[in-house]
Amino acid sequence: MVAEIEERVVPHEPGLRESVDARWPAGFLLALPSLAVFVGVGFIPLALIATWSFWSFDPDTYWIKPAWSFASYAALFENGRATVFLRTAGLAALTATASTLLAVPAAGLIGLLSGPRRAALLLALFTIPFFTSGLVRAFAWRLVLGRQGIINNALMSLGIVVTPVEWLLFSDFAVLLGMVAAYLPFAIVPIVLAFARIEHSVIRASQDLGAGFWTVFATIVLPLVLPGIVAGFLFVFVVAVGTSMEIQLLGGAGASSISIMINDVLRVVNFPLAFAIATVVITLLTVLIIIANRALRLSRLFESLGI
Amino acid sequence: MSFDAIVRGRTSGGRLLFTTITALSLAIMYAPVLYLLLASLNPDAQLGLVPPSRYSLKWYFALLDDGRLAGALKESALVGLATAALATPIGLSAALAYRAMTRLRGVFLLVILSAMFVPGTIEGLGLSATLRVVGLAPSWVTIAIGHLLWTLPFAAVVSLIGLSAVRPSTIAAARDLGAGPIRAFVDITLPLMRTNLISSFVFAFLLSLNEQARAYYLAGRQNTLPLYMFGAMNSGASPTIYAFSGTIIVVSVAVVALVFAGLVEQQSRRPRQAPGKTSY
Amino acid sequence: MAHSIGNGFPPGVFSQLTRRQLVQNGVLGAGALAVGSLALPRAARALDEINFWATGTLDIGDDGWRTFAYDSGVKVEFTDNGNDPGPVVAKLAAGNANDIYDVAGLQGGSEKELARRGLIAPWDISQIQNYASVWQWAKDIPYLTHDGKAYGIPTVINADSIIAIRDKAGSVDSYGAIFDPKLKGKTAMEDAWINSVIFTAIYLKNSENAKIAEPGNLTADELGLVMEFLIKHKRDRQFRTFWNGWEQGLQLLANQEVWVMTGWEPIVYAARMRGVDCYYAVPREGYEGWANNTILLKSAVVRGRTKAAHQLVNALFSGFYGCKLGLLRGYVVPTDNNVAYATAHANAFDPAGVRKLADHVKQKFAGKIYWQNTRPDNFQLYETWWQRLRNA
Repeated sequence: MVAEIEERVVPHEPGLRESVDARWPAGFLLALPSLAVFVGVGFIPLALIATWSFWSFDPDTYWIKPAWSFASYAALFENGRATVFLRTAGLAALTATASTLLAVPAAGLIGLLSGPRRAALLLALFTIPFFTSGLVRAFAWRLVLGRQGIINNALMSLGIVVTPVEWLLFSDFAVLLGMVAAYLPFAIVPIVLAFARIEHSVIRASQDLGAGFWTVFATIVLPLVLPGIVAGFLFVFVVAVGTSMEIQLLGGAGASSISIMINDVLRVVNFPLAFAIATVVITLLTVLIIIANRALRLSRLFESLGI
Repeated sequence: MSFDAIVRGRTSGGRLLFTTITALSLAIMYAPVLYLLLASLNPDAQLGLVPPSRYSLKWYFALLDDGRLAGALKESALVGLATAALATPIGLSAALAYRAMTRLRGVFLLVILSAMFVPGTIEGLGLSATLRVVGLAPSWVTIAIGHLLWTLPFAAVVSLIGLSAVRPSTIAAARDLGAGPIRAFVDITLPLMRTNLISSFVFAFLLSLNEQARAYYLAGRQNTLPLYMFGAMNSGASPTIYAFSGTIIVVSVAVVALVFAGLVEQQSRRPRQAPGKTSY
Repeated sequence: MAHSIGNGFPPGVFSQLTRRQLVQNGVLGAGALAVGSLALPRAARALDEINFWATGTLDIGDDGWRTFAYDSGVKVEFTDNGNDPGPVVAKLAAGNANDIYDVAGLQGGSEKELARRGLIAPWDISQIQNYASVWQWAKDIPYLTHDGKAYGIPTVINADSIIAIRDKAGSVDSYGAIFDPKLKGKTAMEDAWINSVIFTAIYLKNSENAKIAEPGNLTADELGLVMEFLIKHKRDRQFRTFWNGWEQGLQLLANQEVWVMTGWEPIVYAARMRGVDCYYAVPREGYEGWANNTILLKSAVVRGRTKAAHQLVNALFSGFYGCKLGLLRGYVVPTDNNVAYATAHANAFDPAGVRKLADHVKQKFAGKIYWQNTRPDNFQLYETWWQRLRNA
């Protein structure tokens, strides 16, 4: 609501463009460093990989030969490989959703209801585990959730169950729990940072007008920190799509993900297929972002507020 | 951090709900961490809990002798700092570029974000093949290059959020007072972005510290910390790796506690300021 | 001494040796040699440096490599390659491993393709005097050679079967225990077709009379048969999980998440140290033999390190390395020089224990053995089927 009013009244982006020489638009100059990184470090290897994905495996040299074919892409539809894409994306979306649902109240506590010291302390607390090895943390979950783990021991000693609860570990539950525990800070930090967009005066004004806490939260706070929420969801989703640790350590027999599948394929030096998988992943995710942008008008989120 | 407790007065259970969920989140995050801390005090070669009477610092002392771990830690710190030091300003420049553009901004952002979507193993492999051709020897430099691509989108988005909190009216006011665009940026925008830039730096550092897939293919002879952990878990870990996690936790918490105590002291010494900022 | 290789076998990777004992091992070992040697004092000799990239299980620690350098004149810079042949071969084939390392070690089977692509160079056996002492059946492993030249030197060798917890699984003498419905949800296999498929094939061939010629090299039909069997059991929730790597496998046993699983022998020793009464089954269907082979990277030749590399391999078989590795991990280097070395240095190593370990491995290999192979003829088909298993 506030955003709509602003849109009609306030012109967008009185930025730097006006005063910089029109021959070298500021945007272009500013974009150079990041584009240089992307082209040099990202695009060139990716172009190589995409090219190689259309070549064929050479059984004589166990490498690739420039025989153009779609075989590796066709192979993506066999043997359940396509389901791996779907399941990994689904798991990542679930992790991102769960993380965001936990992160919004946590960020609310940090950004809205805490003084600077407590906010800094809480933020630090959320960040500290990330300084330890994710692999070791995921491994430790096996000891917390296992048949002889802490939770089962507690449940049994309290008499709640007689035999250990099996599905706590090596199940989708364990994987989700492990992933949320690992990636929650990715969701919290952007939202907390977005709280800088909120002016005290706006909150105070609405409170003066009689708005209760929840009204303020829903109509003022949430829309204003939406860029942070979207960014948090994106961060968790992206990291969750690319990980394999939690699934391998906490999932059931032979649980799969895109990363695990790529490693499996590389293990049999089927490079074209591995590269095809990577190309498809990048393409699909890019398309997903484009759709999300169109549907949710994401680019509007990062514009400035107010006058 | 410059958050003030914005909402004062009654919160209709909002404070309670938020605190509960925050506590739950912290509990989930710290369950494995605390387990590791307690289990690292177990002198047996077993990852498990023992009664407090048997606690021992044996594996912590063994840590001091672990040269391989120290080397990996150093390498990771080097790579992480280099990555963060580059990703933060470049990410900021990307965010500024986005806001300065009009029509091409969507494509630009998409291009920058797409770097996040590349599976780590493949990127590492492809980049190492490319860097070979260029003739760059594998070392912490090559790992940092790979990690730069990985962390840049994150730093850019974080900067975007920070920039969106800077009011155009503030900049306009500075310009009205005669500041050029660069001056306005340096004197107004950057200080307002201070917290954000620090977060961006720490974020990029932590991302690099935990990244293993790219590092495997880009590393030279010295493994990074995640690679060391990965190898240790695969071929037989000495419990020193759990003591190492324990050390990180204890040191981090101690640092935070000290800073917190320092801030508390500072607050109590300064005369209390009038409540509520004046703002428009 | 607490670290002797006796009844309880080696302490496993946690190497319960105190610093003092390690120093004793190292210095005394080196000292004894120096006394008996006619060469110049070791300290005066310049050391050749070799970058050794191998599975962490082959590592003998900084102290161990220091003694090794002292004895052999080769300073080894050891880096763990993560044990998974997939990334290792990928890093060799497409990455920069050749620029960084001189000598590598990995599970056998890929030697042929690496040789064909010119990524590794053949060994000159005549420069490795100790090669003569290597056990014959180790030398005879088929994939070590290509085009008549030796590309892989079998450095560590063992015969694998399954691990069982005595009071939960009873007395196990067949791989069938893994698939026993009475143990549903209490078994595990390794998440690697390299091992799990061959175990299943061995079982099906010998206990269920399936038409399988070579369990280590299945035809497409045989592979289908074996994989369908595994898929069926996975769908029946027979397996608690699959495990990846030492620590995961050990944890499953140490915390009794599973009662029977396919696994590596040193895990048994380590689990016993953690108080689990488990044992390594002697399956009537036979063992899976494997070798971790040392290969010479092409760039080492280009860099002029061939001589040092051969010296390194020679020294791996001269006795100290074998004794040390046996002590630390319970793995065996296939040569009798280990016993000879232990006998000559009885203050550092226990000769009876070393002999017992060697005899134990020899005895296993005297029975039915099926060799592990990371590159069966249909290896890409294996991966396809494994995907189907994953998605089942």
